[in-house]
Amino acid sequence: MTTGSADQGSRFLDAQLHLLDRQVLDVAGIPVAVVDDLELSDVPAGGELPVDTPPPVITALLSGPVLGTRIFGGRPPKSRRHRTPWTAVSKVGVVISLAIPGETTDLTWTERWVRDHVIARIPGGRHDPERKQNDGSTSKGGGS
Amino acid sequence: MRKVLGLALGILTAIGGFLDIGDLVTNAVVGSRFGLSLGWVVVVGVIGICVFAQMAGRVAAVSGRATFELIRERLGPRVAVLNLGASFLINLMTLTAEVGGVALAIQLITSVSYLLWVPFAAVAVWLVIWRVRFTIMENVAGLVGLCLIGFAVALFLLNPDWSDLGRQAVQGVSTGTEKVSTYWFYAVALFGAAMTPYEVFFFSSGAVEEGWTVKDLAQSRANVLVGFPLGGALSLAIAGCAAVVLLPQLIAVTALSQVMLPVAEAGGKILLAFIILGVVAATFGAALETTLSAGYTIAQFFGWPWGKFRPPAKAARFHLLMIVCLILGIGTLLTGVDPITVTEISVVFSAVALPLTYLPILIVANDPEYMGEHVNGRTLNGIALVYMVIILIASIAAIPLLIITGAGQ
Repeated sequence: MTTGSADQGSRFLDAQLHLLDRQVLDVAGIPVAVVDDLELSDVPAGGELPVDTPPPVITALLSGPVLGTRIFGGRPPKSRRHRTPWTAVSKVGVVISLAIPGETTDLTWTERWVRDHVIARIPGGRHDPERKQNDGSTSKGGGS
Repeated sequence: MRKVLGLALGILTAIGGFLDIGDLVTNAVVGSRFGLSLGWVVVVGVIGICVFAQMAGRVAAVSGRATFELIRERLGPRVAVLNLGASFLINLMTLTAEVGGVALAIQLITSVSYLLWVPFAAVAVWLVIWRVRFTIMENVAGLVGLCLIGFAVALFLLNPDWSDLGRQAVQGVSTGTEKVSTYWFYAVALFGAAMTPYEVFFFSSGAVEEGWTVKDLAQSRANVLVGFPLGGALSLAIAGCAAVVLLPQLIAVTALSQVMLPVAEAGGKILLAFIILGVVAATFGAALETTLSAGYTIAQFFGWPWGKFRPPAKAARFHLLMIVCLILGIGTLLTGVDPITVTEISVVFSAVALPLTYLPILIVANDPEYMGEHVNGRTLNGIALVYMVIILIASIAAIPLLIITGAGQ
């Protein structure tokens, strides 16, 4: 499989080695998820394929319950997939970087739910423990 | 000057942070039953933890990646999920033991049952994780934990027959009246206590928390290579105290108060107070480390945002998970299970899980994609491979020995 991202030119990627189980970071470098599975475009099922059938391409990164199917086998229904479109990927390196904020993807809904319903409601939940340091690694907006 | 201070601080915290309830109890039990004849295991264990802790620290500093992210990337989801399950359960057991240790130590001061202190201890752990800055948390616990030097002081005050202690230490395998299988059971337990996997999870994730880079490598190496051996020396002092006072009287350690009996005999109330303070700090520090490690392992496996450097709301699942773990710990302790038993079992199971933790670190430390020019040298790989063999043997032998000896009875 090749990827044509502008900043890398064209290079071969092994889905197993370079994509699956890699950490995904959003545009601000905040962890989003790990790539639990990949979604490929459909090829016509059954029978011999016509010669000019386009090869399947990666359409999305999947994460969440789909992990269970990689460990135990099976396949989740399409409607239950938590996906981030492949077009959002900006760079594939030791980690996979997205060009969009993680907040906007399906993959982070549990994080947002836990934050809004539990953690942010406990006093001090938005307190930044490291705010006296200004090394830039601290809260990225919305500290308190 | 600042550098020297930083170095001294790092080393001192490493000494204080090395000891936890597992080391305290196991060393005292072993000292009271076998004298110093198992001292060699502490030496082997300390060298092992030095080798792998500095490796994990280097991987974290160079690649910015903590151990469990790499375990999954390298081993795939099936093996990683097994590894995660085992590490997490053992870590939870250690966490329970540490919280129990804090409560037991406070019981010694207050004479109020430890069961009453368990919830307070756990809430205090949570509050520190919720509010206090990472470096402050680590340094305070480590420095106050230095009070455990009192065990070395006590050993000198007891004025033992040093040549006799020395003979016990060098004569190697000597079981006295105990069975051979019991001797080896405690060898595995001591090894597990010295090399507890959470120390590596915590060390590598802590390096990411503190934002280490290649520049900090020298400092981290010094912390580990000086601090951990000195911590190991304190372990030996604990075993030595027990060997001098408890072994001749045939008192086998089954409670935390007995661990401190030799100190009370040697140094009286003041030294005892000093030691109890040290035990509270050491177990509290370890409770913090195990709680954080529980969060680190799961969050890194699933790729969640993690770390104390983020406000809790920015690492919500990570914080919720730690709260749940502390509640599970409280629940377990309130059933009335003896925290010392939990400790003894947790160090044995730590030994079982050792290969799962240390093999991936060794693999990644040799991977130029992550490490660039900082991959392991040949000598280090040689030593690490020897240790992988020892670790594997300890891991395989642990459960059969546990069953044969009835947990060392």
